Amino acid sequence: MKIKKILIANRGEIAIRIIRTAKQMKIRTVVVRAAVEPNAMYLEYADEIYDYSEELPEIPVFLDIEKIIEIALNTGADAIHPGYGFLAENAYFANKCLENKLIFIGPDPDSIYKMGNKTIARKIALANGIPVASGSEGNISNIEEAITLADKIGYPVIIKAASGGGGRGMRIVRKAEDMEKFFIIASKEAEKAFKDPSVFIERYIENPKHIEFQILGDKFGNVIHLGERECSIQRKHQKLLEEAPSSALNSDLRQKMGATAVKIAKAVDYYSAGTVEFLLDSDNNFYFMEMNTRIQVEHPVTELVTGIDLIQQQIQIANGNTLNIKQEDINLKGWAIECRINAEDVQAGFAPDPGKIENLSMPAGPDIRVDTGITVGSSIISSYDSMIAKLIVKGKDRKDAIKNCKMALDKVWIKGTKTTLPFFRMLVRNQKFLEGTFTTAFIEKDIEKYYLNSEYEEMLAAWLATKMFVEENLEENSIQVDFENGKEMSPWLMNKRMNQF
Amino acid sequence: MDISGKSYKAFLKRQEALKKQYSEKQAEKQHSKGKLTAQERINLLFDPGTFEEIDTFVTPADQPVEFGKVERTYGDGVIVGYGKVNGRLIFAYAQDFTIMGGSLGAVHSQKIAKIQEMALKMGSPIIGMMDSGGARIQEGVASLSGYASIFQNIIHSSGIIPQISVIMGPAAGGAVYSPALTDFVFMVNHTSYMFVTGPNVVREVLNEEVTFDELGGAKVHACKSGVAHMIYDDEENTIMALKKFLTYLPSNNVENPPFVPEDNSTPDINDKLRDIVPDDPNKPYDVKDVINLIVDRNSFFETAELYAPNIVTGLARIKGKTIGIVANQPKVLAGVLDIDSSTKGARFIRFCDAFNIPIITLEDVPGFLPGVDQEHAGIIRNGAKLLFAYSEATVPRITVILRKAYGGAFIVMNCKKLGGDFSFAWPTAEIAVMGPDGAVAILYRKELAESSNPAELKKELVKKYRDKIANPFIADESGYIDEVIDPAVTRKKIISALQALSNKWVKVPSRKHGNMPL
Amino acid sequence: MSTLQIKKLYTLSSENRKFCFTLPLRNKIRIGKRDYVVSLKSDEKYGTYILWKNRKYPVEIIRSRQNSYEILFNDISYTFTVETPFSMKRMKVLNATKKKVEQESVKAPMPGKLIDVCVREGAVVQRGEPVVILEAMKMQNEIQSPVSGTVTRILVKPNANVMKDDLLVEIKVD
Repeated sequence: MKIKKILIANRGEIAIRIIRTAKQMKIRTVVVRAAVEPNAMYLEYADEIYDYSEELPEIPVFLDIEKIIEIALNTGADAIHPGYGFLAENAYFANKCLENKLIFIGPDPDSIYKMGNKTIARKIALANGIPVASGSEGNISNIEEAITLADKIGYPVIIKAASGGGGRGMRIVRKAEDMEKFFIIASKEAEKAFKDPSVFIERYIENPKHIEFQILGDKFGNVIHLGERECSIQRKHQKLLEEAPSSALNSDLRQKMGATAVKIAKAVDYYSAGTVEFLLDSDNNFYFMEMNTRIQVEHPVTELVTGIDLIQQQIQIANGNTLNIKQEDINLKGWAIECRINAEDVQAGFAPDPGKIENLSMPAGPDIRVDTGITVGSSIISSYDSMIAKLIVKGKDRKDAIKNCKMALDKVWIKGTKTTLPFFRMLVRNQKFLEGTFTTAFIEKDIEKYYLNSEYEEMLAAWLATKMFVEENLEENSIQVDFENGKEMSPWLMNKRMNQF
Repeated sequence: MDISGKSYKAFLKRQEALKKQYSEKQAEKQHSKGKLTAQERINLLFDPGTFEEIDTFVTPADQPVEFGKVERTYGDGVIVGYGKVNGRLIFAYAQDFTIMGGSLGAVHSQKIAKIQEMALKMGSPIIGMMDSGGARIQEGVASLSGYASIFQNIIHSSGIIPQISVIMGPAAGGAVYSPALTDFVFMVNHTSYMFVTGPNVVREVLNEEVTFDELGGAKVHACKSGVAHMIYDDEENTIMALKKFLTYLPSNNVENPPFVPEDNSTPDINDKLRDIVPDDPNKPYDVKDVINLIVDRNSFFETAELYAPNIVTGLARIKGKTIGIVANQPKVLAGVLDIDSSTKGARFIRFCDAFNIPIITLEDVPGFLPGVDQEHAGIIRNGAKLLFAYSEATVPRITVILRKAYGGAFIVMNCKKLGGDFSFAWPTAEIAVMGPDGAVAILYRKELAESSNPAELKKELVKKYRDKIANPFIADESGYIDEVIDPAVTRKKIISALQALSNKWVKVPSRKHGNMPL
Repeated sequence: MSTLQIKKLYTLSSENRKFCFTLPLRNKIRIGKRDYVVSLKSDEKYGTYILWKNRKYPVEIIRSRQNSYEILFNDISYTFTVETPFSMKRMKVLNATKKKVEQESVKAPMPGKLIDVCVREGAVVQRGEPVVILEAMKMQNEIQSPVSGTVTRILVKPNANVMKDDLLVEIKVD
């Protein structure tokens, strides 16, 4: 192996996840201690810590390209793993790594750039005969152009940020009157989030399923896919629960979509792990949406059904090894479900609820995997995402996986912040979810209540409120007041006080 | 005595007549307005069976009055008496709206004055529950002079026994000054009003339309005027809160406040305190989070919560002993001192000082609020009240500087040279003449003007200023504060300091009274 | 003199469900014909919890104010007001005379930084229309108008840091 030491330009559970594989591969790891969470859990796992907690930078260190490169060089790391988020899909950063003779554990900067810019990605897809939703050729420069085009392709349309991802800078427009307002919001948001205000327009596919394919490619042009992930359970484009495989696909469709995914990856000479996202409509038509050129949050579900360690593959590919798996070796076994347990207030529309974790206990077992970077005493801080843990559960089929998931959810114990647990407890009992017929509109349209409370829970809570009220106000001895005590004092004070009056 | 005898029968007859006077119908009328009767209020306040009414049968004289007619009723529309609240002697009066609208006549006022004088003699707190239409017009000047005697008694007792008013109905005209003179005013939302001139007069004189609630409802007085300190949604909650509030207060100014044994469930060292103040000096946080971790669990009773929320005042306990809290609230207006917050703080400090309640100050204040409004409305003279109140207070005074302590506000907020006993600072404290931005702009005006990149230079200088000057270590090393402490040990430090100060005595120069800048 | 002993308490949820408890409060809850013991416990590992029918439920008293309690029970928050028979009656009396809400205020649902104010004073807004955009935890959140009406007051400026429950915008209901 050329790679002896990896700098992990990330934090939280993904840093720990990367360290785990690196340890197995006998590669040393370096992580960065940031001022905002100097006692974070991931720091305990790494072989080396670069202390950057003295500084309180304006941008998180994980986004500071110069600093990350400097740290890598100073600590003698020969490779950088960006994890997800932060610099994971920054072509400039990937290029900087190469310039400094550092191995970037991810694809070529050029692939990142092409797939990162959605208008370019769209053009590549069109050129390769890959189905995409009808829409603008390139970026849209003004509102008039947007309205003309939308009239042509028909409402509803979706405005997307060219450099976007993760749902930011996206707006659905249902009628021409709203175009102006949403166009401005979307480009403002895009400017703010990606420093690029350009947006484009596509026909909005109503009620699709979000299906994505995990692919792996090496530097020698070999590309395979590892099957799909079902990610339709999302809210405002933020995924909440992912499955592998998807109940919407049969082996024909899987093969067809998988081949398309491989094709688009090959079109940009893709290597490393990547994800090709599709929208699948109710008639089983699929449309290329975008490609994520990094390891995904939800990669564990694929790992559980394929038995392949994706981080290991990423490292080997970056090292220059040939892909050691062939397409025919891939064989999906069982069913996996991942619940993203976030510090969010489900009742307040999934608003982030930062705070300090006071108690934490996660289930364990042969069918359960927990990826987390949080422990008792950790703080969920507003500078980072709100993830507490990923609960990944396996079963022999979907029904079995859901059953295991239900049991595992009841064993999760988190105190200190509100979490998405009540949502999942509801979800695993929801008819439509059990049937597998849900689409991306599920949360917004198909459910009335985002959370589950069993019949007697509210009554028990009411009992507690009443108990508090009684203790505070009505109990004879609720406050034991010792009035006599106030009369006793040292003669020193007593005499002086008496003499004053 | 023969219970079938003539004298006993006469006794029974009178009792019967009294019962009739407080008929179900009257009570029902009161309930239909969402109010309780005077008896019910008294019953809620006092421990069961401990209330002794006096002057039950006092009746207004049957003599011609200047105008109209006075109903001849037993008690003349006010219940006065004494009893035990949580086991301690408390005096009280409760006006009865069902009798002549609770209006205050000569006999009515004499009863109140009598109980006030008794309370002062015994050194016991007095509660006034008000529900009155005002001065009894029929009795003219006699009722006005009745008010005067009540006011005079309140002022006599002020600072000697705690006096609390509970407004449970209207209080208009001269009647409003009786609560205004007392230490704390409780009001009930929607059913109590206070104003000097009512909506009708406002309409006639100024042609302004205003409702009772808008002019003098509980919310208005709690948020805007600051007349009401505590407001509640109904009378039962008001009285329950009042009972709780009384457990913090001593019976008089000679005694110390009562002691409530603590269950030791509050940790003396709590590292959660380290996480509250954000690293970014411009980010707000809720100072009540700090308070709740420092005082005994669930013991913080906030006063005047809705008025000038940029300063937080309230009573609490530490190791079972009552303390007063004065804290800047960074969450509101960055915790700046303005006219309202200065007077709110000053009045609270004087109350604590009068009743031997140690004062804990939590400081995070960027300074006084600048602006034409504030200057013209007299921030100088109003800010001076807070300064005066702190400096004058002889009770134990402890300050913890959480973050900002800049300029005049640092001096005012109980600094050591103002007689503060202990001054602690968290490592996040910034003690200096002014904030980094302002200071750099003055100190490096020339350099900044000449610089090719003033923004960058300023950033650099601000950072330097923060590192070199705006920190607690200089003040610590020169003795202007006592110690820079780990936030986690704040409660422990305060406990030790309070123990050390428990016998504090300061000889005050003999004088009639100081001349506070009112 | 009539005494006023409280024999019953009504605990009302924010969704107007009513639970009645007799005093003194028992640590049992009756379901059908059986009583089940409910107890409030606390330990190092689990923190505070309620034990009922052999199952532990995490609980937290988020805040209490006067007779109002916000309780987090098994990760779901409930707001209750505890009322006595008299205060229940009073509520009914006052509700009958209370006017409709005319002014609606938009408050910050979470602490964060204000990115944009999408409306101006005097603007007419529809229910659900975004009024401000608040950034918290890398997420931009549209804060939507809870009512249709006219914006009467804007209390914040872009780039301001706001706390949870800070007043942002006031809207006069149509």
